[in-house]
Amino acid sequence: MNKALKNPLIFTLFVLPALFLFLMFFVYPIFSSIYYSLTSWNGVSDTVKYTGLTNFKKALGDERFWVSAKNNGWFIIFSCFVQVPLIVLFSLLIANVKKLKGLYKTAVFMPAIMSTAVIGILWGFIYEPNIGLINKIIGLFGVDPIYWLSDERVAMLSILITNAWQWTGFYIVMVLAAILSIPGELDEAAKIDGATGVQRALRITLPLIMPIISVVIMLSIAGAMKAADIVIVMTKGGPAGSTEVMATYMIKYAITNFKYGYGNAIAVLIFMFTLVVTAFYQLVIARRNERIEY
Amino acid sequence: MLRNLKKSLPHVVLLSYLLVILFPFLFVLFSSVKKDNNEIALNPFGIPKEFVFNNYVEAWVNAKISTYFFNSLYISIFASVVTILLGSMFAFAVTRMRQGKWNGILFSLVLIGMLIPNNALMLPIYTIVRKLGILNTHWALIIPYIANAIPFTIIILAAFMRSLPREIEEAAVMDGLKAQGIFARIIVPLTIPAMVTVFIVNFLGNWNEFLLANYFLSNDELRTLPVGMVQFRDQYQMNYAQMSAGIVYSVVPVIIIYAILQEKIIEGVTAGGVKG
Repeated sequence: MNKALKNPLIFTLFVLPALFLFLMFFVYPIFSSIYYSLTSWNGVSDTVKYTGLTNFKKALGDERFWVSAKNNGWFIIFSCFVQVPLIVLFSLLIANVKKLKGLYKTAVFMPAIMSTAVIGILWGFIYEPNIGLINKIIGLFGVDPIYWLSDERVAMLSILITNAWQWTGFYIVMVLAAILSIPGELDEAAKIDGATGVQRALRITLPLIMPIISVVIMLSIAGAMKAADIVIVMTKGGPAGSTEVMATYMIKYAITNFKYGYGNAIAVLIFMFTLVVTAFYQLVIARRNERIEY
Repeated sequence: MLRNLKKSLPHVVLLSYLLVILFPFLFVLFSSVKKDNNEIALNPFGIPKEFVFNNYVEAWVNAKISTYFFNSLYISIFASVVTILLGSMFAFAVTRMRQGKWNGILFSLVLIGMLIPNNALMLPIYTIVRKLGILNTHWALIIPYIANAIPFTIIILAAFMRSLPREIEEAAVMDGLKAQGIFARIIVPLTIPAMVTVFIVNFLGNWNEFLLANYFLSNDELRTLPVGMVQFRDQYQMNYAQMSAGIVYSVVPVIIIYAILQEKIIEGVTAGGVKG
């Protein structure tokens, strides 16, 4: 019995292809990034010059890098303080309605399966100053046209709104699944004790779904650190670098400007920022959310 | 009266949210059959006076949307199929075969892949692809797409395979099957429901991918749909009716897939999300 499933040769053959790709495209790139971040290299030539921490010093003293880091911060703040409350509200509402539940669940998820690039184009059209939908709507109330994507003051906000439009439904479905898996007796008992709908939502459902909300926040932070395609499609980092994020700044340097070493230093900084933010969140905020048993 | 209000209030809120989700699509759909920018500007909300389907012809032919469309289709399907194949072999080995501590070590190693922000790995991957001499070929996307989807695929398939009862294999071994036979004739057929879910999620991920596709290919004939669309937008910036037709082309296939398979998609994406 054991012999057939203990065959080390077959085991190796089955594991090797996936493992090889994993090492080549996940593990090796990490070390390669760290190595090249310590060099000055244009990405093509034969000469790779070791320069120590010069790239990092340059990045940390680079005002435009900090603008891009701050914009990643805006992504995180917007998703935690605007998106997450909306996600929880909508999930609670959908969980408690009887009619149309399936429709809500299906429709809200739809934007999440579409290409960020196409959504960027679609919203670029909606934000269009002269014929775009939003200026037409605010025009009905007599508000002057706003240059959503070319005005430095609102361009970042416009991107954040589009990003929220795309991903809110995705998280709603996750939170909804958690709410619907809570045993009904808990709610029933509270109902018999005379608790109102709002009381039950705040006192029973909400505490029970804290772990999943925590997951949503973690995923939002990870998503915020990765954000790049939406920026490239909607504004290319402009106007005047005001919507640049770390990933687009990295790409701009390494691929467009052939500063491969410097680009890798930014990649390493993205890793470190992600690590610090998630560690901070885990230690300071999520620590209090213990595992919940029904 | 008050009861009715309480009952309908959630629906009012949710339907407004639904409107925010769906209205942009309607706006683009209507704009795609309007004559020109002028008609879009004068009548942004309504159904067009006359339907101009020529926008669709122009977008399909001039903008080479057909080329991009089939590039995307075959790259996405091919990469997803290979991922399922390699991922299921790996998952089978670490969940059903008996190699002591190796099962756990290899599985955890791949699990870490879920935590790595893969955008930050783009530069080294660019170099690997260039050194392999496949930059500016479809392989430059296919191989990284396969690699990128492997952690998610393994996690979902391994979870599913673990839940299959041990007795199945005992019976198979009695009948004289070897490990590879158990895999191909017993485990794979039983895992198909999970594979379908994983396939769709990976397919959508590849279909929508933009960054690698944008920077790893420079030949227009090779481009995928998201990249082709962005390029099309940049060229026809001022013709919003045609641009809308282009958007409709790239959104409709995904909506059709979603309409048919939404249960599986939601299941797969949330499972991956929760475990990530």
